[in-house]
Amino acid sequence: MTAHSTTAAPVALAKPSRLTALTHPRVYVALALLSLLLIIPALSHSPFVVHVFVTICVFAGLSTAWNIVGGYAGQLSLGHMMFYGIGAYTTALLIQHFGLTPWIGMWAGAALSAVVAVCIGYPCFRLRGPFFSLATIAFLEVVRLLAIHFHGVTGGSAGLIVPLKPGWAWMIFTEKFNYLIIAFGLLLLTLVVSWAIRNARLGYYLTAVREREDAASAAGISPTEVKLKAVIVSAALTSLIGSFHAMYTTFLEPATMFSLATSIEVAMFALIGGLGTVVGPLLGTVLVVPIAELARGWLGSSANGLHGFVYGTVLVLITLTLPGGLVGTFGATVGRWIDRLPGGKPRPEPEAPALRQITGLAGETMLETKNLVMRFGGLVATDNVSMVLKRGEILGIIGPNGAGKTTLFNQISGFLKPSSGSVAVVSGAKETTPASADAFARAGVGRTFQIVQPFGKLTVIENIMIGAFMRHPDVASARAVALRVSSLVGLHHVREVEARNLPIGDLKRLEVARTLATEPEILLLDEVMAGQSQADTQKMVELIRAVRDSGVTVIAIEHNMQAIMSLSDRIIVIDSGKVIAEGDPQAVVRDRRVIEAYLGEDFANAQGL
Amino acid sequence: MDVLVQLLLNGIMLGSMYAIIAVGLTLIFGIVRVVNFAHGEFLMIGMYATYLLATKLGWHPYVSAVPITLLLFCVGALVQRFIIQKLLGADEHIQIFATVGLSTALVNLALMIFGADLYSVAAPSARQSVSLGGYTVLSGQLVILACAFALVAGLHLFMQKTPLGRAIRATAQNRNAALLMGVRVDRIYIISFGLGAACVGLASALVTPLFPVTPTIGSYFVLTAFVVVVLGGMRSMYGAFMGAMIIGIVDSLSGYYIAPDLKEVVYFAIFILILIFKPTGLFGFGRGTE
Repeated sequence: MTAHSTTAAPVALAKPSRLTALTHPRVYVALALLSLLLIIPALSHSPFVVHVFVTICVFAGLSTAWNIVGGYAGQLSLGHMMFYGIGAYTTALLIQHFGLTPWIGMWAGAALSAVVAVCIGYPCFRLRGPFFSLATIAFLEVVRLLAIHFHGVTGGSAGLIVPLKPGWAWMIFTEKFNYLIIAFGLLLLTLVVSWAIRNARLGYYLTAVREREDAASAAGISPTEVKLKAVIVSAALTSLIGSFHAMYTTFLEPATMFSLATSIEVAMFALIGGLGTVVGPLLGTVLVVPIAELARGWLGSSANGLHGFVYGTVLVLITLTLPGGLVGTFGATVGRWIDRLPGGKPRPEPEAPALRQITGLAGETMLETKNLVMRFGGLVATDNVSMVLKRGEILGIIGPNGAGKTTLFNQISGFLKPSSGSVAVVSGAKETTPASADAFARAGVGRTFQIVQPFGKLTVIENIMIGAFMRHPDVASARAVALRVSSLVGLHHVREVEARNLPIGDLKRLEVARTLATEPEILLLDEVMAGQSQADTQKMVELIRAVRDSGVTVIAIEHNMQAIMSLSDRIIVIDSGKVIAEGDPQAVVRDRRVIEAYLGEDFANAQGL
Repeated sequence: MDVLVQLLLNGIMLGSMYAIIAVGLTLIFGIVRVVNFAHGEFLMIGMYATYLLATKLGWHPYVSAVPITLLLFCVGALVQRFIIQKLLGADEHIQIFATVGLSTALVNLALMIFGADLYSVAAPSARQSVSLGGYTVLSGQLVILACAFALVAGLHLFMQKTPLGRAIRATAQNRNAALLMGVRVDRIYIISFGLGAACVGLASALVTPLFPVTPTIGSYFVLTAFVVVVLGGMRSMYGAFMGAMIIGIVDSLSGYYIAPDLKEVVYFAIFILILIFKPTGLFGFGRGTE
């Protein structure tokens, strides 16, 4: 590799072909089990059994598609049948009015659903938890009521019958098994998309955003962008399945096409199987749908409400006993059993040789703030702070608690917009002010959080990968970089531990590791030595020096005076939001204003300063 | 002009009904911090109970109001004790699923027991037209209006003047601080959830003479109640009251001036706009003012 390039370090890895994935037992076992969805009904010859399996494939597909938004992105949509209905109506109306085959119409429906999903998702993604769910319910209701109101187009409450033209071209068959082939195909498509997302950068990013939006932004992720990607894919897949299901049931009415109850069922299957897992939604559907369908078949209309009652009760019981769902609870164990089959050996994981070397003229300006003022109500947290960061230095920021150090950090990393004043990232002769926290990260400003922000449910190495993805979109190279970083900061021995199980010292190192993995030009460290033992502090000091030697410029907020004084080339002292002293460490500690700020005026007087 | 005044009057009558339901929802959200998706089903339980008391025992719905309010208090307390309490530390989505599941189970339980038929209670005394300076309302609607005011006033006194009310407010504002001051937070949650459900109990007895009961009646009312709660700032009882009046009036006006089947579209649109652009509610009552 070229030692003096500023591009990402190329990580040479033999890229395994996609097909080699098939030799992994988890893949071939899954495919074998999946094929049972075709084989069992093929052997049975009973139209009812075929019907049950079509229903399973449809709901498993809907649930898998929902899981991309509800599970991966953690946005609990309860209005997802909106996209199902849009797909169904678009397809049916295109056949009716333009004689367009459903094979094309379904893609038109998917495109329309994707557009609607963006229009709804963009404003709603800022809503938290139950309020996002309520908004999606409201949208579903609005669409349903509009579908009833504009009965000239949709047939209104009376419904709409799909034109019945038999044959593959029109997706209408007398032989029910043909429907199952299409339903199975759609399920397979949905599963493959879901699996691909889970195992690509997008999947990791969605998890990161779900767990902690701030930490995700600091790793260069735009939360809105990744959530929109998820909802577009999810809506389009849901819509495709809706189009097919309309051709299968041949009858559309607003109450069933835009049903809240069905939206809840689809989400419920995913929860039972395991939210945010690839196979969870399928497993949940396979377990629950046959029971409901059989009950309906045997008991007929006397069982009115029974399956809904069972669904609701199961849902409550799952939340009380197995909140992780089946896969979340037992998945790891079953996975280990499956891995004992041939081909299940862990594959070797190369470590990236080095992080990118950053070059440039030492001493040139990299970051500049002018007259930063940040007001919170009546409180002025930073008051006219102007500072310049020079390439290659370690700049220490000290000051008593509440002085405004972290607020300053939040402004120079994009987490707070200053009330007035400016922040500029300087690159060559170009000055830019990135628009958001994630844009700051991508511009090369990496930060850690004083109150650690780990992605608790991800392992240490996955946490670091979230940072590494910023310059290495490919999973294998991101992992290689993450492994390198984990050795660098001393987290290698705990790399497969879930972050929520780490002690505070390791969590502090993980903060640094995740930020380092973004390979920043400027590293903002917010009290990374707090809570570390003496020995660990020494290691951290050495690490920061090593990082600086690789070309990174460092700003560190620190209360550990001994460490920061020995480390820093220059110190800025902040008190009550103002810069009260600036200079080399030895001069700063003798400054009267600094001593006053820390120890009071009396002490300063007593010292005769 | 005459039409407009009559519509406004109708809106206020409708609003007072939403107010009682929404105040209960606000109590639960404001104190326990859980959005109760099964709130509408509590209403449905109360309405069926009113129906049964009326048909089996011949009780007037207004008489039934007392036992049914108590019954719903117990239902709410049990739900809190045996479901929500165990999930307070769980992820938000688990809490959502729990109350959504409860709602689904209750709707379908009613469907199994009573079928999909409409049941109504004949209470002529609640359906008499009362003339107010040339405009007409139903006597039952006036009762609801009076009860809505009485409920808010009563809850206000309870929250401000009693030790239990103070403990509830303290818990709503800062759970941990309340815990440190010796407030038995678990018990406060059970009482608060019960109170929230009891409000719906009162509402159910009062609306049964005016609306027929079906298994899905709950979702009809409660989606509107959610709109009201969001409009009112989510945690403020007074906000919920005013939000209810606004939605009642919007319902009444848009049903007449736009189209009867689009009035829900109008207030859902308001709901979405408020959620997105002014999530603290119309009146800025902010947090913990209840």
